[in-house]
Amino acid sequence: MRYILRKFGLLLLTLWAAVTLNYALPRLMPGSPADAAIAKLSQNGPVSPSTRAAIEAQLGVPTGSWWHQYVQYLNTVVHLRFGVSYSFFPQKVSSMVAQALPWTLVMVGLVTVLAFVVGSLIGVAAAWKRGTWLDSLPTLSGAFLAAFPYFWTALLLVFFVGYVFGWFPTSGAYSADAVPNLSFHFLGDAAYHAVLPALTILITSLGGWILGMRNTMIGTIGEDYVTFAEANGLRGRTVALRYAARNALLPNLTGFGMALGGVVGGSLLVEQVFNYPGVGHLLYSAVTNHDYPLMQALFLMITVCVLVANFIVDVLYGVLDPRTRR
Amino acid sequence: MTRARGKRLSAVAALGVATVLVATGCSVSVKSGTSNVGPTTLLVGGADNGSPALFRNFNPFSPNKRNLTTWMYEPLEVLNNLNSAETPFLATGYTQPDAKTVDFTIRKGVKWSDGKAFTPADVVFTLDMLKAHPALDVNGDWQHIKSLSASGDHVVFHLKTADVPAAKVIEQTLIVPEHIWRNVKDPVTYTDPNPVVTGPYTLERFTPNQYTLAKNKNYWQADKVAVQKIVVPGSASDLAIATQGFDWAYSFFPNVDNTWVKADKQHNSYWFPPGGIVGLLPNLTKAPFNNLNFRQGLSDALDRQQIADKAEQGYVKAASQTGLLLPNEKASLNPAIPNQGVVTQNTTAAYAAFAKAGYTKRGGKLVNSAGKALTVNLTTPDGWADWLQGAQEIIQQLRAVGITVKLDKPQPAGYQQDLQNGEFDLALGTIGGSGSLFQDYNNQLNSDFKKPVGTSTASNFQRYGSAATDSLLDQLKATSDPAKEQQLTNQLQNVVYQQLPFLSIFYGGLWGLSSDAKFTGWPSTKNPYASLMTWGSTPLLVMTHLRLAK
Repeated sequence: MRYILRKFGLLLLTLWAAVTLNYALPRLMPGSPADAAIAKLSQNGPVSPSTRAAIEAQLGVPTGSWWHQYVQYLNTVVHLRFGVSYSFFPQKVSSMVAQALPWTLVMVGLVTVLAFVVGSLIGVAAAWKRGTWLDSLPTLSGAFLAAFPYFWTALLLVFFVGYVFGWFPTSGAYSADAVPNLSFHFLGDAAYHAVLPALTILITSLGGWILGMRNTMIGTIGEDYVTFAEANGLRGRTVALRYAARNALLPNLTGFGMALGGVVGGSLLVEQVFNYPGVGHLLYSAVTNHDYPLMQALFLMITVCVLVANFIVDVLYGVLDPRTRR
Repeated sequence: MTRARGKRLSAVAALGVATVLVATGCSVSVKSGTSNVGPTTLLVGGADNGSPALFRNFNPFSPNKRNLTTWMYEPLEVLNNLNSAETPFLATGYTQPDAKTVDFTIRKGVKWSDGKAFTPADVVFTLDMLKAHPALDVNGDWQHIKSLSASGDHVVFHLKTADVPAAKVIEQTLIVPEHIWRNVKDPVTYTDPNPVVTGPYTLERFTPNQYTLAKNKNYWQADKVAVQKIVVPGSASDLAIATQGFDWAYSFFPNVDNTWVKADKQHNSYWFPPGGIVGLLPNLTKAPFNNLNFRQGLSDALDRQQIADKAEQGYVKAASQTGLLLPNEKASLNPAIPNQGVVTQNTTAAYAAFAKAGYTKRGGKLVNSAGKALTVNLTTPDGWADWLQGAQEIIQQLRAVGITVKLDKPQPAGYQQDLQNGEFDLALGTIGGSGSLFQDYNNQLNSDFKKPVGTSTASNFQRYGSAATDSLLDQLKATSDPAKEQQLTNQLQNVVYQQLPFLSIFYGGLWGLSSDAKFTGWPSTKNPYASLMTWGSTPLLVMTHLRLAK
């Protein structure tokens, strides 16, 4: 219990630090939201002085001392009031995040879980059969694939699978004329559009799980209790999964918790390449447009999720591995 | 648009694909479009950017409105920004009884798309609303207007000062229906999801990825409108534009002949007229840029066509130092200025000018009298690929005459801030192209904008100011006599040509692509009645010109 309380105190402290950074960082960027809006418009040619004035009036860029603004900001955070987006004015930040979140959670979330489960199982098999082709093939290809940058894999998929063979759509989360709803027809359409981005994340993240699991597993296989279990004549599979893998999984679980927390941040590059309307895409557009309210809401959501995921992993770890509780 | 739009990675991906195709000699085959596009439906690409999803906002005064809002709401007159020509829409014309008055005659027999009659009261209501909410006044109407009144079918504007060019500002105001907007609580945050309009199209269907417009049955010149439906995808990669049967698109295609045109040689064409000038802004508050001889040296040292070709792939020409957009504004050109104001590179003259400014070449570097080598910064926004290319070429050319140039690439917002505060040595920026010569010169030269460095200004970032030029601008603002107007414009061209408050480098093209497979009557070099811009009011001109292809 004391261990959990200590971890919880740490969670609150890091939360406060993250929220404060979240306030400071966007404001340290050169240029104001109005400047960003005008720069965007000036890509279409010179912006007249009157347009400039109207935009500044519209955004009502915050005034007052930084301390005053900071207190106001903390107040909005506590009440979860995120206000109106600058770059998508007059849209509410909360509704924009609510629109983007499901796409990211479902697509990136499912793929992360899938990659962890499949990767860990392959890693177990590779360690158990080390030295055979069952080991060398996934290990080598995993290392090879993990070295691929996300966007490069994405571009290859877009070109060959999407364009040359035309098997899957290469852009967006659903067909152009579809309206999001929960019908089977729409869900099928969405799943069809999610194939390539999901495949990209799967291919590039699988290798890491395989290697991580294999290496910790090899360490546990050398332990005395595994040898003892084998000497007792237990079946190989039982020993591998029930004894060795269970203990080898612990360090990987931490990584998995972190990855789950990070799911909320979306997968920026993949979402960009596939024009997928998730959180990563939204975050990119918020940052490039100096959209403080949107940026703050997204960063806050992401940091809270990562910290909470970490906290849960810490607590779980305490339950799973009594040694850490000391 | 004067520059290639910032590309998203997805677009880059598509480009990569297109380039690979071209490189490998694959032919790009035209597939049927993504949507069920019929023979009288126009598919338009690069017209709106719904990233990550289209937001349903058709408020004509919102900077984040859907771009095709301006294909539905109409102004009093449409101004063709290529050559300043005006076409009457909700007004049948205007007169200026004196320099402080503009009298618009409002068109009769126009109906709103819900069947109610359009009246001068709608015009008055709209303008009053803009006065009450400065955040909506994107045209800046109320910087010019003192008061307005309606009588019969006339709406008369009384201006703050003698201000003839104000007519061209006021006429562009989009008019909204009083019977709808009267009940809007806060027009600044109103998103007008189902616009009631006077224009040729109304909103038919809206989804987060695409929206469609249908022909307005009540339109007052319905006989001129051949396109029955318009489909607007929220995103269209260049690859999609080239292969999915788009009729009209706005996009900077690399190697356009080998991509867009090659996709359908028979029908696809492009037209890239100048929409503005990309120029080099010297900071006139700093030495050595405040020295005319030094600016003259810079001007003579540059090979503008070379920069244009590097930046915009040979799509545009070197710009005239008069500040005019040629050939479209040729009629206003000062005949006394040699070579239409296009300055050619002359290194000998450049060294002579630099010497007058106190800089001589020693050991390959320009040095001042104390022997100190000259180093300057050039500011351009990060991520605008075409400008970066141009900036690199400028740096090369200035290095050749012995000036060391450092490239400064802030994010676009930071660049905007540096420009407004005057915190730069040399910067790339856009000039002109508003469709009103007075506005173009006024924005660049008026000393009202000349704020001290560190204080933000909205225009004239180079901080030029001279009493003589101000007086010319005031006279131009007050005259409605075409001969006097031309004479003053000539003098202003002389000011820009001789005093070099900015250096015109190349024209920013308007990257319009069209296909006459289904519709003919597109604007072109031969018939420049509008540009192929997909935003603003000029698409109204295009949509009333297009005919079904036989």
